[in-house]
Amino acid sequence: MGSHLLGWLAVALYTGAEALAIVSLMRPRALFARAVPIAIAAGLALHFADLMRRAHELSSVPYRTLGGSVSFFGWMLGIAYLVLFFRHREQAMGPFLIPFIVLATGIGLVLPDAASLPREGLHGSVFALHVTLAILAYAAFTLSFVLSMLYLVQNRQIRRARTGLLFARLPALDVIGRLNRTSVTIGVATLVLSLGLGLFWAERVWPSLSDPKIAWAAITLLVYGFLLWMDRRGWAGPRVAVLSIFGFGVVLFSYTVVNLYLSRAHSFR
Amino acid sequence: MMTSGEARLLLLGWSFRGAEASRSVRERIALSAEEVREALDRMRGEGVVREGVIVATCHRSEIYGVSDGEQPFERLATLVSQWRGLDVAEVTRASFTREGGEAARHLFRVATGLDSMALGESEVLGQVRQALRLAKEAGSTRAVLHRMFECAVAAGKRVRTETEIARHPLSVASIGLELATKVFGDMAERRVLVLGAGDTGALFAEQAVAAGVRDVRVANRSPERAAALAARIGGAAVPWEHLPRALPEADVVVGATASPTPVVSRADAEAAMRGRRGRPMFFLDLAMPRDIAPDVAGIYNVVSAGLEDLEGVAEENRKRRSREIPQAESIMEEELARFLQWLGNLAVVPTVNDLRARLAALRDAELSRIAPEDRERYRAFADAIASKLLHEPMRRLKSEDDASRKLDRVEAVRHLFDLDRPE
Repeated sequence: MGSHLLGWLAVALYTGAEALAIVSLMRPRALFARAVPIAIAAGLALHFADLMRRAHELSSVPYRTLGGSVSFFGWMLGIAYLVLFFRHREQAMGPFLIPFIVLATGIGLVLPDAASLPREGLHGSVFALHVTLAILAYAAFTLSFVLSMLYLVQNRQIRRARTGLLFARLPALDVIGRLNRTSVTIGVATLVLSLGLGLFWAERVWPSLSDPKIAWAAITLLVYGFLLWMDRRGWAGPRVAVLSIFGFGVVLFSYTVVNLYLSRAHSFR
Repeated sequence: MMTSGEARLLLLGWSFRGAEASRSVRERIALSAEEVREALDRMRGEGVVREGVIVATCHRSEIYGVSDGEQPFERLATLVSQWRGLDVAEVTRASFTREGGEAARHLFRVATGLDSMALGESEVLGQVRQALRLAKEAGSTRAVLHRMFECAVAAGKRVRTETEIARHPLSVASIGLELATKVFGDMAERRVLVLGAGDTGALFAEQAVAAGVRDVRVANRSPERAAALAARIGGAAVPWEHLPRALPEADVVVGATASPTPVVSRADAEAAMRGRRGRPMFFLDLAMPRDIAPDVAGIYNVVSAGLEDLEGVAEENRKRRSREIPQAESIMEEELARFLQWLGNLAVVPTVNDLRARLAALRDAELSRIAPEDRERYRAFADAIASKLLHEPMRRLKSEDDASRKLDRVEAVRHLFDLDRPE
């Protein structure tokens, strides 16, 4: 594989953004707070160029390999951060979300791009949309995980009347709860679409629909669907946060163990 | 030491930092806004000060003035004692005085909240602004005090935005509101139900309204007091017997009754939560003994905070504010230096002029003793020496960068050459 210079530059920008985000969490300075989304946006641009270069080299979508897919996942998280920042004016989340962007992008660069043989059917817009939506769903669930952790932290601070730095900087429980609901809703909607497209496409190229990844996507949907259902029935609060953290565990399992060891069709081989 | 001649900044004040024994004197001196106007008129009417501004708060009465008269402190103290019918010695004993740069520094400390009883409190900045406004209306400010107060207000604003000294609330009511805000976010559309219309309940209700809560309800065992408080804060009264219906509709419930037993039991709170379909509820217990049963906190999505929690936070916040002192002081000193620099420039010029005039008078006195035909020659000679002698000290005086040192040096020159002696 060629050099990942652009990708590493993006990682450097994300890391810089994280440092600025931490500094402005400790001591709010308008200048620093404004520099964070700028650094993220610049990182996203370079990151995108790196993904394009990968796609060109693979003659396929960039997430044809495991590295590419993790990298693309990091890129989606970056977009999610910008949405939070510009749409919700939410800055306190930065220091907790950006590490996931750095981590995913970095891992995506380190993982070997196994130069696999082009497999039949791994192209076309249905396949591309299926994977894009699935990764978007995972990004939304990751965001929900971060929000849920912050919810539990803030909830604990309020209950113990601990009014320190995090208490002051983190948003109100109501706000975190609403953002969480939105991101889970987006995650569920995109995963449903992705699953539908995947099934539609697999029906045409696979001999049978017996892939474990399908089962795990269904389990993931079940967990988050239950979360949204209970959220409207009096669970909105710490229980929903705990459920979302559990759901993220399922997502991680489905993205790693299931992809690499259980599912043949999703193994990037 | 104040002598006549040059206009000088001065401050005569009475503050809570004075001795406990003089508290009653301070309380008798305390001025209302109306009285401030009258006092300013009197001070200027009797020629005690050229400019005057009075900062009057619950904790302090401070007269800032620019005076070129003799013994301004004594005259101000006499004026105050006569006006208030107090013994002048008592008034003087209870007071403190500052002059020049120290008077300015005191005002800057006051405006930045560094001199406040509750460190960093914000109200005092408004009070300093108000003092300047009253003085402007009374026509008692000119260049110096106007500039000094505007700079002090600017310093106060900077300290509030650039440090955290004013950010941590100190009263239990505002801490309670802060906690509620971290549960619900924007409190404007939330309903606050205050149980008890006594002092505690009234104070909380007022603070809640001031903080932007639009829907405040008051319930009290005697409905008249609830109605009176509700009317005063623009809220609504809830009959005590309607509590079971009112509880589920309230996002924040504040316990502030004098009841010896809790007025909200766990069963009450559970019933309210059922009515709310699990939406969060915040119980704030400001009563002693408790109004909210302690086990209410165990209900899902119920947050409950009691007095001891809030007082713990208040203590913690006092420490947090103290940690901001060094940064606040450095901002304060920076702004003060800027003002003193300006003031210093103001003072060097008259001092140089006074010094020239003094030397000219000496020269003329000596010239009068020599033959008239020789005078012109000697005058030129004397002027040449005087101008050579003065050149370097004057250059150094003008070019001094440190504003407070410059003031000191100007004062030293005036003292050494006895420039403040009446002609």
